[in-house]
Amino acid sequence: MNAIGHYIDSIMDHGEAEARADGSAAVEAYHLLLGIAAQEGTAAHRVLTSSGLDRRAIREALEREFEHSLRAVGVSSAAFNVPPATPDPGRPIGVGASARLALERGFSASASKKDLRPAHLLLGVLEAEVGTVPRALALAGVDRAELVARTQETLSTQDW
Amino acid sequence: MPADDIPVPQEPADALAAVVALRRLADQMEDAAVEQAMRAGWSWPQVAEALGITRQAVHKKHAKRLIAAGVTLRRRQ
Repeated sequence: MNAIGHYIDSIMDHGEAEARADGSAAVEAYHLLLGIAAQEGTAAHRVLTSSGLDRRAIREALEREFEHSLRAVGVSSAAFNVPPATPDPGRPIGVGASARLALERGFSASASKKDLRPAHLLLGVLEAEVGTVPRALALAGVDRAELVARTQETLSTQDW
Repeated sequence: MPADDIPVPQEPADALAAVVALRRLADQMEDAAVEQAMRAGWSWPQVAEALGITRQAVHKKHAKRLIAAGVTLRRRQ
């Protein structure tokens, strides 16, 4: 398998572990973003961390978005005062529609399969106009358009 | 919370995001509440009836996880 194949495998594996840990039934686009933030040594990782978006900061932004969205209908997750469930190490985790869309966008951002790099995949996640990722980034005060522009810049330099 | 204090989502994006967040919260709550009930000695038929789903469905979804978590499960009511 080539480098990008291994990279996609590792962000999917990481995304699956994140999905399992937060009780999700499927890997969604925001789990891919966490996976991209967890893989060091890529231009995509550098773009995120230079904006203060390491894995932990993204997790916090996602939690804020979750609580914010619940609050819009008068719900707080803190009101459910039951010990958290033991995660299921064997529950099958699928690939959600938002992750599929992000991957498709990432693949088509690259001129050819041979040129596909981590930053294309980050672009695929960041270019979603609606959904959990743009909402979480906006709530965290991150300029998504600027992040997209900087990701595109790194692609023009041929960096991995 | 009094009805007057419950915020009403104004934008479609907020209303749709609330649906996504509520689904996720409901999934998390189901896992936690089933585990709490089974640790408290409830039976599968009781949990299934309380959730309004079949015993087979609740067992299929939660049994392996609870066994792995070391919960002692009641076989019969």
